Amino acid sequence: MNAFSYVRPRTLSDGLRLLRSGASALAGGTDLLGLMKDGLARPELLVDLTGIEGLRGWSRAKGKGLRIGALTPLVELEEAEELHRAMPILRESLRDAATLQLRTMGTVGGNLLQRNRCWYFRDQATACWLKGGTKCFAVEGENRLHAILGAHECVAVAPSDLVPALIAYDAEIALASSRGRRTMKLADLYVAPHGRERREHVLRPGELITEVRVSESALARKGAFQKAMERKAWSFALVSVAAAARIERGVARDVRLVLGGVAPIPWRVVAAERGLEGSGFDEAACAEAADRALQGAAPLRDNGYKLPLARELVRRTLRSLVV
Amino acid sequence: MTRILKSIEEFEGEVSESLVIVDGHDLPPARHDGGSPEIGRSRRRIDATQRVTGRARYTQDLYLAGMLHARILRSPHARARVRRIDTKRAEALPGVRGVLHRFNTPKTPFRGDDVIFREEVRFVGEEVCAVAADDEDTAREALALIEVDYERLPHVVDLEEALGDVAPQLESDGNVSESGSHKRGDTKRALKEADVAVDVTYRTSTQLHNALETHGAVALYDGEMLTVWESTQHVFGVRTGLKNALKLPYSRIRVICDYMGGGFGAKNGVGKYTIVASLFAMRFGKAVRCVLTRDEENLAAGNRSATLQQLRLGAKGGRITAIEHTSWSNSGQGKWIANPTGPTNTLYEVANVNTRSYKVVTNAGSLSAFRAPGYVEGAFALESAIDELAEAAGVDPLTLRRRHAGAGKDPITGNRYSDKHLLECYRIGAKEIGWDRRRAGGTRGSAPHRRRGIGMASQIWGGGGGPPAYATVHVDPDGSVVLTAGTQDIGTGTRTVLAQICADELGVELDDVRVQIGDSAGPFGPMSAGSMTLASVGPAVRLAAHDAREQLLGAAAGVLETPKAELRLEAGAIVSKGARTPLGEVLGKVDNNTVIGKGIRFPNADDLAQKTFSAQFAEVEVDVRTGEIFVERIVAALDVGRIVNPLTAASQVEGGVIQGIGFALSEERIVDRALGRVMSGNLEGYKVPTVKDVPTIVVKFVDRPDRRANNLGAKGLGEPPIIPTAAAIANAVANATGARVRHSPLTRARVLEALALAGIRD
Amino acid sequence: MTRITVTVNGAREETAVEAHESLLTTLRERLGLPGSKNACEQGECGSCSVLLDDVLVCACLVLAASVDGREVRTVESLADGSALDPVQRAFVETGAVQCGFCTPGLVVATHALLRENPEPSLAEIREALSGNLCRCTGYGQIVEAVQRAAKTMYLHGLDDE
Repeated sequence: MNAFSYVRPRTLSDGLRLLRSGASALAGGTDLLGLMKDGLARPELLVDLTGIEGLRGWSRAKGKGLRIGALTPLVELEEAEELHRAMPILRESLRDAATLQLRTMGTVGGNLLQRNRCWYFRDQATACWLKGGTKCFAVEGENRLHAILGAHECVAVAPSDLVPALIAYDAEIALASSRGRRTMKLADLYVAPHGRERREHVLRPGELITEVRVSESALARKGAFQKAMERKAWSFALVSVAAAARIERGVARDVRLVLGGVAPIPWRVVAAERGLEGSGFDEAACAEAADRALQGAAPLRDNGYKLPLARELVRRTLRSLVV
Repeated sequence: MTRILKSIEEFEGEVSESLVIVDGHDLPPARHDGGSPEIGRSRRRIDATQRVTGRARYTQDLYLAGMLHARILRSPHARARVRRIDTKRAEALPGVRGVLHRFNTPKTPFRGDDVIFREEVRFVGEEVCAVAADDEDTAREALALIEVDYERLPHVVDLEEALGDVAPQLESDGNVSESGSHKRGDTKRALKEADVAVDVTYRTSTQLHNALETHGAVALYDGEMLTVWESTQHVFGVRTGLKNALKLPYSRIRVICDYMGGGFGAKNGVGKYTIVASLFAMRFGKAVRCVLTRDEENLAAGNRSATLQQLRLGAKGGRITAIEHTSWSNSGQGKWIANPTGPTNTLYEVANVNTRSYKVVTNAGSLSAFRAPGYVEGAFALESAIDELAEAAGVDPLTLRRRHAGAGKDPITGNRYSDKHLLECYRIGAKEIGWDRRRAGGTRGSAPHRRRGIGMASQIWGGGGGPPAYATVHVDPDGSVVLTAGTQDIGTGTRTVLAQICADELGVELDDVRVQIGDSAGPFGPMSAGSMTLASVGPAVRLAAHDAREQLLGAAAGVLETPKAELRLEAGAIVSKGARTPLGEVLGKVDNNTVIGKGIRFPNADDLAQKTFSAQFAEVEVDVRTGEIFVERIVAALDVGRIVNPLTAASQVEGGVIQGIGFALSEERIVDRALGRVMSGNLEGYKVPTVKDVPTIVVKFVDRPDRRANNLGAKGLGEPPIIPTAAAIANAVANATGARVRHSPLTRARVLEALALAGIRD
Repeated sequence: MTRITVTVNGAREETAVEAHESLLTTLRERLGLPGSKNACEQGECGSCSVLLDDVLVCACLVLAASVDGREVRTVESLADGSALDPVQRAFVETGAVQCGFCTPGLVVATHALLRENPEPSLAEIREALSGNLCRCTGYGQIVEAVQRAAKTMYLHGLDDE
């Protein structure tokens, strides 16, 4: 690790002030410290957010939806029974994420902003495109875990299990910096790295996620999450699928379908959602949605298996909403 | 009378002859009537308390006063010439004590090379330079300041690329060399005359050991003695390596391995890190620690070779008539190779066999022994192919194996087996798994799109151990016992079973025996590898305990003024006509006398083949839409002679099965061919099984002493349980789905591809 | 260097640490507590599991500077002299220990589990321990040890530690 200064502010405003000049924010540390140990992040100033009051915990006020503080440990979302009743997909999506220790340490904000797991990106010695190099080594290299959809210069995939689940509920995020506050749809946070945009999200320098919000109307949706792994625990998704819909008298409304592990961003498939709108998630509709979800897929040498795998997971996840 | 005898030993599939100095006579086989107070009893590990409390000191836990920390700069290139090394900036860093590299390091012979820093580095991760500093961070920082001028050379890391015409030739005689062959009968003719034949190609990927404790050493030099603490499977092997590298006599090197965090074959001898730590220690007169990181572990600390294997099998009249097996193994920069054709040569009685193994050199990290090296890879191919043949011939695969598994002689040497109960393993395992429930084509699974299947595979391996191995038993005047033996406990339970053997033979309580091992200052013992520790050291311990008991009874006869023949030693007391006198009380009557019993391992018979046999049965479900495999149950039935401690023996078997499951389903070193780099070098990318990957494992032992093997009747157990697992699972998957996956591990990609090829969707 | 004050295994410790130093390094190298093992340094294996303010964490991914004023418990705190605590005893009795390198982390993780959930189901045990990698055992005896410890602690109360 490089040498750096460490500060642990007590208030958000102090934290935001400290973050103004290129400092890095530390929350659970499960991703950032690993990156620092491998020399992939070299902050000069590390601002430890965990001392800041008010960013931890969640609340659900009647009619006002769900608000989750960015510093809430993942394990709290997973274990809270009331949350589980309100939004079961949280537990479903977190249960197979990382390990218990990492979910205990890791925070919601950190999970949303974790860097990708591409082994070329994570290898200190490889100057890949995303790190400022000239090419993506995975395109012609070892790409069994990489993107089949939506990739440009970089074929790393969005790693989070939680994010597709939240996007399926149209989650919004609140952001703060020393210059002010704003909100955006969580889905809009992510970009497929391309051109001059050599990063996975559009968070501005010095900006923090302070809260995740899910509206009351979205909470009326039924959701489901499925994930395929190469072992039965402690694996990032080969493919994950989050789906949600409001089901009225057997008819689907506000359908959302988001895939993880297949594209550089959480892959929401609007065309498939539209096709399911008004359906009863019958076999034919789900199968068709699965085909639509994979439209335009361009597998690399070793990741063609993700197509049948994703197709089947989409079909199953959708069917599980009604069966 | 001291004399020299001939002995035959088998180590990692290779049989060799040796000469042994012996004195006196061996004991007759131990009784096996259920009356032994210790042998055959489940006992807790005698060192478990130290381990569960965190008090056990492993090599990485030693922090000696004034200790320096060494770190190694490794080649980023798969092949390059090191032209120049500039360490000025590194050496100027405060806290840096010194550097070692090819331009300033004396000749230090290491595994066939005469230096540890080679001019031409030949894999990513090869040692280029070492730094010693006051602390770990400084040493790490210094590495980044070293400038190396590399002349890059063409490289090849992939096995099949290295076999091709366009690959750079890494040795003067090319990349490929024959490493073993066997021929009996006429396979060409037998294949021509066969009713059915299969011709199939299998692949196995590189498996990484990933013992939880990485390789490492702490060296201390006081001007006379070099003391090295090392996480090793062989303190004497490290001593030999250091003697060769540093030109010190044995008497001035002491290697200690007290607690050790797993090895699985990767820690069988000296490492470059050991020599680096020792060179720095000798230069600075301080303790020096050099412990590898997980990444280094997976780059440069050994692996199980990837293989490509071709098999042709023929059957006639429901019997196997011919096996041809050709195998290529990626040895990286390793100097040896483990031949995957071993099981094919010896497991079944088949008249016509023709096998050939080739070693393929590449610019990848060297292989090292990995729990049944060669046999795991070979058994995956052979045992899969036998099932494919059985299916083609319309014969039940277990029935087909039974027809060839009964032979009483080693087919190569013609020597009789000292003992063999493979058919009994089949019977026990088949009953336990419910083989009669197996249907050709599998059965329906527990959920939609899931198929269920049963498969099995069997195994042969050495495990007879052999000389030289020594033990002494000291009985102190208070009656307490110290057993010293030349071995180390790498996690298998060696300390515990040796204490049991000693207590049993001597006639004391288990708690009265303290075991002193893992120290080259004691008598010699073999590597804790090759399933040979118990069968090598155990008989020597028994003999030493017997010698001590005879002396104690003689002494007691004098003290108690009772004829020796009327005395027994039981549970730590001298028993005479119903009267019990504690041993301490008897010995207390003679001042500070110490009784020292000595034992050696007597030779193996030179006309017998000592083998272990077992069979494993797997029941799986396969989701044919997602390619996911659920291993539900593994039954392992083993013939490894007498079981000394059923509890530790069962956990050895379960651990072997789990590593076999990893090899079968998820463990795979992935190397970028262009960069030559290991991409799956950490414990998230390299997927060893977790607790959630584990099925129900049922362990059954035949538990019959092999009376012709050694005075204990026990054989080794480390390797047998990993050998058949992957093939049993692959056979179960094929039974469940009708799709055959011929490449381990059976990842989603490979399973889905095989299912698609076979046109299976439900 | 930063000075921190931290309660480790019930004792107040004051020590200077580097900004980039992990809690694992501080425990092992400055405080003489090498029971927590270093096997990956990346939070991938669970061998360095400790309780930080009663919460299970990988000490290798915690900055030492961040534990100022907090409380850490390591495997070394569990036994009382020669008397093992129920979890340790269960690991010894069931044969859940082989090389033992992963054991301290597993013992601590088991404590964390049983504190939250005194009667875990088999699935819950497997879930809770899946971040603790073991390379020697077949895990079966580890699961058995947790079940046995749960039973003992349930019968005798949580606080005989």
